[in-house]
Amino acid sequence: MSAGSVKTRPVPKATLTTKPFWDAVNQGRLLLQYDVGAGCYQFWPRSTGAKSGSPNLQWREASGKGKLYSFTVTHVAVEGFEDRAPYVIGLVELDEGVRIVANLAGVTPDEVRIGMALRVTFENMPDGSKYYAFEPDR
Amino acid sequence: MKENFLANREIAIVAYGETKIQRRSGKTAYELAAEVASQMMARLGLRPADIDGVTFTELMSECSNPFWSNFCSEYLGITPRWLQKTDIGGASALGNVARAAAALQAGLCEVAMLIGADAPSTQWRASYGGYRNEFWEPVGIQGPPGAFGLLMNRYAAQYELKFEALGKLAVAQRLGAVLNPNAYEKNRVPITVEDYLKSRLVSTPLRLLDSVMFCDGAAGVVMTTVERAQRMGVTRMAIPIAYGEITNFNCAEMTPDITETGFSVVGPETLRKAGMRPDDIRSLHPYDDFLIAELLQLEQIGFCPRGGGSDFLLRTDVTYRGEFPINTGGGQISAGQIGLASGATNLVEAVRQLFGEAGERQVRDSANAMVTGVGVIPYGRNWGTSNVLILEASR
Repeated sequence: MSAGSVKTRPVPKATLTTKPFWDAVNQGRLLLQYDVGAGCYQFWPRSTGAKSGSPNLQWREASGKGKLYSFTVTHVAVEGFEDRAPYVIGLVELDEGVRIVANLAGVTPDEVRIGMALRVTFENMPDGSKYYAFEPDR
Repeated sequence: MKENFLANREIAIVAYGETKIQRRSGKTAYELAAEVASQMMARLGLRPADIDGVTFTELMSECSNPFWSNFCSEYLGITPRWLQKTDIGGASALGNVARAAAALQAGLCEVAMLIGADAPSTQWRASYGGYRNEFWEPVGIQGPPGAFGLLMNRYAAQYELKFEALGKLAVAQRLGAVLNPNAYEKNRVPITVEDYLKSRLVSTPLRLLDSVMFCDGAAGVVMTTVERAQRMGVTRMAIPIAYGEITNFNCAEMTPDITETGFSVVGPETLRKAGMRPDDIRSLHPYDDFLIAELLQLEQIGFCPRGGGSDFLLRTDVTYRGEFPINTGGGQISAGQIGLASGATNLVEAVRQLFGEAGERQVRDSANAMVTGVGVIPYGRNWGTSNVLILEASR
């Protein structure tokens, strides 16, 4: 980045472990890791199960549906998000039993409510890649 | 685990030191550490050669340097036989009291200097990596205020959160900063509950006056055995009598109640180890990165019931003159957050109170004090480390 240029939204850099996740996101699909030994999903992805301790993990496609567990409206924007402020960040509980911190689209700070039904959507990143977000599931 | 490794009351904090807390001081962490080390050696009549144990807290301003502990000990002229740096964030300073006590008991050293120094407002070198690059930063969350905004809104959905109660705590701590010459100078003016309620929203419902601000500074203590302290002619001591620490409380649970923190484990446990009840505690020096963290600690350590934090604060005088003083020197929220050394600020204030050296803001009863630590912001939860220390005065 050249001196004086405007900072844009940071783009995730996949690791060997997370590459399948980001490849799917770029196709508009949300994958979750299923910890086979413990019989549960986990988020964020890692190379072993947080419950089982085992590397026996499966990528499974998520329903993309859930409910808002909590939220915060960001008034002091982070670099790269200035044009969005105030913007809503949600802590979304998916039906699969994991929580994801994500931007909420299609809902204003006045409309957002804990417990509201949400579904996954995908936003375009500055480099043309995609990133997950959630929107009201009406 | 051993029931209470501090039960014999054989280890003592015998000196404290603290710099003025400043924004963009232009100082290095080395200079700040040296100022504190020098104060403590002068108090005890010691030279660097008399110190054989050193422990530091991790630093925002030096964390790219893999040799900080060595370099800084050398800067101070110290030849440690026990040396370590602790990286449990804001819980590190308190964690070091326990680690130094264990090192002293084990005979790894005889006189340990615990220093927290950091200059993040002059030099910022932290880069977190891990899950944050992929799953946290691209969301545009406003760092710790964003995480605590999520936590506060969830608490408010489950319990009653009265903002005037948080405001009252902010006002009480600010009174301490006004009377604390080491506090960040710009914060040494009183505020009102109205000021709190009208302060700028950062990440709802969290406001500017809910929050700490990164500053530069250092604080530390010297620890040794009570037997050695007596030989040194030390008369004022703060004895650590019980300690508890937990990191990543219920982290393998994917949908926990995020309002429930590690303090629900280590709070009651540490009181039990000390043979105390909550109302035996004479002053509380809770880690205060955000006001809501203090409210959760009040409930989960056991000073009031779950959901009762707001009412407890509204009915209790928590100033230094009150029946239950909290963060009498301003805490970090009003005195300034000295980077990752931040846990040392409230620790030193507790020791100062127990030594009877808090001047105008001296509490009436300084028989004991509880200090706590909070460290590291995790993904969509509350915080990483929770620790609790109970100190008893001996003078």
